[in-house]
Parts: sequence; C-alpha cells; structure tokens
Amino acid sequence: MLEGVLISISCDIIPNLVNPKAHASAQMMQSIIQGIRQLLPVYDQYVAEEHNQMMEVLRNVAGAIDGSSGDAADRIRERATTLGAGDEVPIPLDREVVMATHRELGLALQATMIDLDELQRAGDADADAGLEIVRGHMGPRLVRDVQTFLVGDALLGRG
Amino acid sequence: METRLVDLLAEYFPDAEHIEITGFEPIPGGYSRETFRFDAHVRTATGIEEHPLILRKDPPEAISILQTSREVEHGLIEALRLHTNIPISRSLGHEMNRERFGEPAMVIQRMPGNSQTSDLFHDGPDAHQADDVMRHLCEVLVELHTTDVSTIDPHGRLADPRHEGVDASSWDAYIDSTIEYYIRSFPTINYDPSIISVLDLFLTLRREKPRPLPLALVHGDFNPANFLYEGGRVTALIDWENSRIGDPREDLGWMTTMDILSNSNVMAHPVDEGGFLAYYNELTGFEITQDEVDYFTLFGTANIAVPVQAAIKRRVDGESTEFMHLYLAQSAGGTLPNLLRLLNYPGVPQ
Repeated sequence: MLEGVLISISCDIIPNLVNPKAHASAQMMQSIIQGIRQLLPVYDQYVAEEHNQMMEVLRNVAGAIDGSSGDAADRIRERATTLGAGDEVPIPLDREVVMATHRELGLALQATMIDLDELQRAGDADADAGLEIVRGHMGPRLVRDVQTFLVGDALLGRG
Repeated sequence: METRLVDLLAEYFPDAEHIEITGFEPIPGGYSRETFRFDAHVRTATGIEEHPLILRKDPPEAISILQTSREVEHGLIEALRLHTNIPISRSLGHEMNRERFGEPAMVIQRMPGNSQTSDLFHDGPDAHQADDVMRHLCEVLVELHTTDVSTIDPHGRLADPRHEGVDASSWDAYIDSTIEYYIRSFPTINYDPSIISVLDLFLTLRREKPRPLPLALVHGDFNPANFLYEGGRVTALIDWENSRIGDPREDLGWMTTMDILSNSNVMAHPVDEGGFLAYYNELTGFEITQDEVDYFTLFGTANIAVPVQAAIKRRVDGESTEFMHLYLAQSAGGTLPNLLRLLNYPGVPQ
C-alpha cells in the first residue's frame, strides 16, 4: 500500500507540480513514507528487545555505582530495584503493554543520566562507568534506528 | 500579496512613479522563513530601474522554528554591508506590522551567483571551483569573526537574540548561560525517550568546556546552503537570522555538522591549505584544534537542536500541523551517528 502511495506521488503528483517548494514537499513526503516502509517490519521486535535491554542497563548502572552514596545514587538504585527488576517481555509481544513500559524505561534512563551527571560533577568516578553503560546501550540502538529510518543522503529542498 | 508588496516598495523607492512586479514565486529551501523571489521594475522620471529582490517573511508563529526578528536581521545586514567587505545582500527594509503580509517580513536584494552549492562537490559541474570558493568563504568568515562587535551591534541586540537569558558579557558567562538554556529547554523537546542522546549532549557540554576564545559575531547557520558563488568567489553569505554574539568555533562546528547532513565537503577545502580549519587558523592565529571543533560541533548542534526539536515536539503533540516538521524528525537523524561518535558512545563506528 505504501509503495502504491510512493508511486502515485512520483507519477501523478510530482510531474504536475510547477511550484518548486511544493516539489520539495512532495519529495519529503516520499522520504518519510519510505522510512516508515523500512521501519515497519522490524519495529515491534526492536521495541521488545530494547525493553529488556533497558531493564538490564538500569541494573548494571546501579552495580557500577555500588560504592556511591547520596540522593542521586539512591535514585539510581531505586530504579534498578523497581523498573529494572520487572518481567522481561516475550517476543512476540503484547503491544500496548510493552509500548507503555518501554516508554517508562526510556524515561528512567533519562532520569538516570541526569543523576549520573550530578555524581560526575561531584567527582564520582564510578558515575563515568555508569554513563558508559547507558551509552553502550543507546549507541548501537540509535545508530540502528537511523539506519532503518533514514532515506537518502542529504536534506531535501536545499542547495 | 503582490499588491501589498508594491505598496511597501513605494516606501523604499520614494521617487518611483510606477512599480511593477514580475516573476513572483516561492524559493524552496530555507526551512525557517518563507522566501519569494521577484523582479521589481521601478519607473522614475529618469528611466526604469530593474531590481532583483527577495521577500523574506516569517511563517505563522505556531509553526515557526526560530523566533527571530526581521528588524534585527535588517539592522545586522545593513551594518555588515556598510562596515565590512563581507559579500551580503542589501536589505531594503522590514515590515513588522502583521497587517501587511500576515507576519513580519523584509525585502532584500537578490544577489547573483549559484545557490546550488552541491554543484561544487562529488564531481559536480563546478567541482573545479571548490578550492577557490572555499578559500574565499574562509576569508569571509574570518572577516566576520574578527570584526569589532561594537561596530556591528552597538546596542547589544545580538547578545541574546532569542531572549533566553544568555549572558555574553564574558566567554565563561556566555558558554555557561547558553548551556543552561539548552538544559532548561529539554522538557520542550523531549517528545520521545530516545532523545536521551540530546540530554547527554547538553550535560556533556557543561562538564567538558574547552579553553576560551574572544567572543565574536557568528553567522549562526554557517552551512553549505547559505552562500552563493560565481567564478570561484563567494557572491553572498545569506540567511543571517540566527546570527548572534558567540564563540567563533560555533560556525566551524556547525559547518562540520551540515557537511554531513548536506553530503557536501566544505571543511576539506581549500585542499592546498590543508582544509578549511587549517586555513582559518593560518588567517586568525587562533590555533583551533580538531577537539575544539568537535566540542563546538556538539555545541552548535545543540543550538539548532533546541528550536528544531521543539518544533517537532509541537507537531508530535498536535499543536501544529506543519508537514515539514515531520520530515525534520526523520532527516535530523542524519546528524545522530556523528553526535554519538563525538560523545564517544561505545559501539558506534568512529
């Protein structure tokens, strides 16, 4: 279906556009639709994998700052024993439930990063290791997202 | 629109007996302002003058990415035109009254030259000009960065043009207050938990400040789409809306980012000078290192990421229906691998 939309934009719309800005907009629409076509087949599997991996990250960060003290360190440990200790999700998944917990875990990683920054600025070297764990999880994941969703190699509609 | 434009032009050409507009059409690109090209034929008592012009208009506030002032941009352009040798359009004037065009607007001279700068790269038709054009582009940037700020901005309107509490009274104050603005803005851009890398970016910038350099006037969107060229020379540096007082390394860092996003190669030229950074250092004596450029690549990315990601969030939240903001959500991903690489994320190809 999406392929049909792309073909229609190419064959029915773009040849009839005389306005260059409308032409660029049509190309942007094609780019987004193609990105979604690439993302759809793998999206649910990515979400489930990321869900389980984020739980592990929360636990590992708490382990890395095991000797740290203070409010930020306590908050990190709290997340590991709550969000990080839940059930891993099966694949294939119950989509609505997993999407909600996936988001909750993602926000927990953001909060963890803020707490790690507080520890780092206080000179806690263990927090550096904790940040490496978060980055080690997010890096390959974000690169994979970009590779899956990105279309073309330059911004459309510019020189 | 064209009738109202003629009325405005009559103010700029008081000796005109008759003004006619031809070829009025929108210009693609320019993600933040709406731009239209046209030719004004101005008849006076002594003859007919031909003026190639551009109407540069704000989009409606709800879908605007950068909230900037056409009045400030007009003042900057005219100050640069009068006090420097930087190739720049003349700004005829600005219209801040929304009754005329719906939103504030300005009219600027349309400069000669090729705006398809992709022709300079990857065996494009003008690839043989790339070294000369980038040499001149670097010289233009150096002139901008070494011009006395008080000459161009005597009233300090470029110290904090976004009105976000940025303090440009010293380098440390500028960097600290700008990063605080980024961090404070995070809730306004956080449309998905995967934005964590942008949060990491802001926090890392705060922890790892480089050495200071004298603050300067920076272009603020120095990228491969914002200059015109002809015959091996830059004919115009355009799109000054994000210009401000800042660290000169911001422009170098942003060009590095946009080279990636635009699939261009500005920073590799001029080859015989060892590339853009080496030539810039030769001209300025700033001795900027690649690590410093990397920091300001991140800093500049943050500076644009805040308004761009905020626009995407407004679109995701349903506050606007602007289609292009959806496209930005996709295309901005092209900067992510480089951002992760500069932050030394494990598992990201270096």
